[in-house]
Amino acid sequence: MRRIETDVVVIGGGATGAGVVRDVAMRGYRAVLVDRADLGQGTTGRYHGLLHSGGRYVVSDARSATECAEENVIVTNIHADAVERTGGLFILPPEDPQDFGDKWWQGAKDTKVPAEEISIAEALKREPRINPHITRAFAVEDGAVDGWQMVWGAANSAKLYGAEILTYHRVAKIIREEDQVRAVMCTDEKTGEDVQIDCTFVINAAGAWAGEIAAMADCHDVTVVPGRGIMIAMNHRLVNSVVNRCIYPADGDILVPVHTVSIIGTTDVKADDPDKLTIPRDEVQQMMDAGEVLVPGFRKARAVHAWAGARPLVKDGRVSAEDTRHMSRGMSVLDHADRDGLKGLLTISGGKLTTYRLMAEHVVDQMCEQLGDERPCRTAEEAVPKSEEGKNYVVTHRLEEREEDRLADQIICECELMSRQSYVDLLEAQPQATLDDLRRQLRLGMGPCQGGFCTTRAAGLALEHENIDIERATGLLRLFLKNRWIGLWPILYGDQVRQTALDNWIFQGTLDVEHLPTPDEELTV
Amino acid sequence: MSKIVVIGAGIAGLTATLRCVAAGHQVTTITKGIGGLQLGQGTMDILGYMPNRVERPLDDLAALADEHPDHPYAILNADAVRTGVNYFAELVGEDLLVGDPERNVFLPTAVGALRPTALAQPSMMAGQLSDGDSVVMVGIRQLKDFYPGLAAQNLARSTLPDGGRAAVRATYIDLPARKGEADATALTYARVMDDPTFRQLFVTAVKKVIEPGEKVGLPAMLGLKDPNSWREVAEGLGTEVFEVPLQPPSVPGMRLNQTLVDKVKNARVRWVYGSQVLGGVAENGRLTGVVAGTTGHNVTFPADAVIHAPGGFESGALELDSYNHVFERTFDLPLAGADNEELLHGNYWGEEQPLFRVGVRVDEQMRPVDADGSAVYENLHAAGGIIANANRWREKSGDGIAVASAVRAADSLSTPTTAAASGAMDSKGDN
Repeated sequence: MRRIETDVVVIGGGATGAGVVRDVAMRGYRAVLVDRADLGQGTTGRYHGLLHSGGRYVVSDARSATECAEENVIVTNIHADAVERTGGLFILPPEDPQDFGDKWWQGAKDTKVPAEEISIAEALKREPRINPHITRAFAVEDGAVDGWQMVWGAANSAKLYGAEILTYHRVAKIIREEDQVRAVMCTDEKTGEDVQIDCTFVINAAGAWAGEIAAMADCHDVTVVPGRGIMIAMNHRLVNSVVNRCIYPADGDILVPVHTVSIIGTTDVKADDPDKLTIPRDEVQQMMDAGEVLVPGFRKARAVHAWAGARPLVKDGRVSAEDTRHMSRGMSVLDHADRDGLKGLLTISGGKLTTYRLMAEHVVDQMCEQLGDERPCRTAEEAVPKSEEGKNYVVTHRLEEREEDRLADQIICECELMSRQSYVDLLEAQPQATLDDLRRQLRLGMGPCQGGFCTTRAAGLALEHENIDIERATGLLRLFLKNRWIGLWPILYGDQVRQTALDNWIFQGTLDVEHLPTPDEELTV
Repeated sequence: MSKIVVIGAGIAGLTATLRCVAAGHQVTTITKGIGGLQLGQGTMDILGYMPNRVERPLDDLAALADEHPDHPYAILNADAVRTGVNYFAELVGEDLLVGDPERNVFLPTAVGALRPTALAQPSMMAGQLSDGDSVVMVGIRQLKDFYPGLAAQNLARSTLPDGGRAAVRATYIDLPARKGEADATALTYARVMDDPTFRQLFVTAVKKVIEPGEKVGLPAMLGLKDPNSWREVAEGLGTEVFEVPLQPPSVPGMRLNQTLVDKVKNARVRWVYGSQVLGGVAENGRLTGVVAGTTGHNVTFPADAVIHAPGGFESGALELDSYNHVFERTFDLPLAGADNEELLHGNYWGEEQPLFRVGVRVDEQMRPVDADGSAVYENLHAAGGIIANANRWREKSGDGIAVASAVRAADSLSTPTTAAASGAMDSKGDN
């Protein structure tokens, strides 16, 4: 058994947990973050990529709107490399309630969300593909944010302040000594080793899984309702700024340009188990129809991938448990000292990716209060590593880089212009990574071919550059293809079917991958 | 002499074209683009798995037909496949395909699987390994589509057809195809390998990294136009070499494609390239022509009979739209398996996805038929990937189905002449 000593253990490697560990470390505590999988593998990586301007909530949730507007500015600065300043539009289609336009405009003023009404002609000039029959258009400060890049940015910042980030460490038990938290027991999923982390404080930022974690400290009945939302990535940028449908928050009301794709989202259906999220055909159809309202001809565009995320919504007695959209999206902190008589444990839940930093600030403030420390939060002022220059992401950055190194380096993933060097460097930093772990940071296999051309290369390079055996290398290839398919088959139609047929031709036809020696047990991590 | 229109220029379309020319027809071949040959592995598959590994493909076709009465091979039978394969092998010649359709060979793939196929390019045949063989897989640093370690280590842990094992190791050479270029495709290499000077550089580089007695596995890039390129490499190295097919662009596939396209052009076929056939013109249950889209306007090509060889989903001939409706794009032909509720499932490594079995059902003359089994058009025949109920890539059956159906279609054309006087097929012209 491995043993680590620290002050604070943060459970959960999503945006909230990464924000918390950064904040804790910047306030001078020793901190360890644990996650059962990779950073951003849960809800943080399964959303539409929108950095809210606040416009979405100006009517439904004034407080969230103002928080979003403020945090938008901060996140754009401190995570410059993860944020593209695309700007956004709220457009009012003719079939929607027309009086909502005035309500929205008033809401924007009341909540101080920066907005400007523009003419239809101007809106169409900015986004030529949007529905030309819209009756009103408002410009807002929406952006696109890469959740994985943001989380790794926060984690790397935390590391600079001495924090330790332990991915693939599954929490097995929270050890208490009477009314005080003493340690967190984990299992290292890659090696099977037990790890005991002695600490005085635990912050539970496990999102949709927070109830399970709280129960491990014998704090029961923390009910987090997973609200399943599906997202669909279209193979190119149908729009270059965020396009919102100007209605009361509903399904399929946002189209976000993220990197090389555009993502439509989302639905909201109560799920039973955040580990078993489906992508039902009827919801896919619903997204397609919603897409047509925003961008006519949407169905003719090519969908490349779909995924489902679980919003962690704290159950609130005021609304029915079936209606997840109207539960509080605001953050909530549970102090288990008050609730369960256990000192040294806080659960933070709810919230939005855009306000992740503010959530962290709130919960760490509360921790300091419980510990009787006065240490102010500094996370809003300091940029994370690689964002210090304040240069925001632009979609063409890889094209620029590849033009630089086109003779000296190879392009391993053509769809996403991922270079061999960037891949090998990350392999070296994370030798135990799966191809999906690498994908989240490098976008390997995320373009139109969905791994058809790069998977073999990635597995071949992994075998050569890391100390893994052929069984693991082959297992990595098998796992990656299996995982890509999970997000492909629910939205497979049109040209993506053609691509899939070609991919099958390559893997089954030419390479005969299904007849490679197969392991007794499939690789999972 | 009848006017025949062939749609498609993949393995089925090109074979059908040449077979029709040989029969003395006047042929127009219309294709949207380059056919699929250059996407495949460049060998002749008949049947590789059912689902166990097949040793004698023609012998096993009867068993396959028993088990799957709707399989294209059940309609075609072993004789038709033998005829088709032999015809194709003759067309491309022994420089490009050798072997025996009765017996499969098992050749290493780029990830190190042992892949069954019937005929293969002579440059690949030394890849048939036996117990105790010493093999070295040689990669090129500047070629990103071949990782010798992956191929070597998987091969080394595979049981060979004779029950034994081979000792396989991996190594690299460092030799840019073009000076100062770190990222080249196999095609770039194949082109420079046609040049004897570069070939010599290549041999010298490989010689340094191999040991005496080793067979040498190389990525399939040993020359594009020069059929003797690989032999010179083997002679220069003083050992047996074998090419391993890569993901597209496939050099072995391009060799087959180029040879056939040259033959088609030399046979004075009307070659309409870059035009998509949009539909047909029908009269009394027969097609009298097909309409192709060209720049500015559509053109009708008159036809006494049509061979439809456009491929399947991979080419866009079959399409699944966003409402989950499958259709055949050119003639809106009835499709078998299209009304399946579960066209797709979520298990990548599980059963074949039913979607990719969808296609047209055909009669003995390869004519697409409707649900009642009657021909949709009396003179429309289908060939290749558009035919339903094969798991082409998993079974390794696509090439055999393509050539057998193309030859059968060409040999049973329903043209006004043949309708009037059967037996016109005897007057086959010389190719």
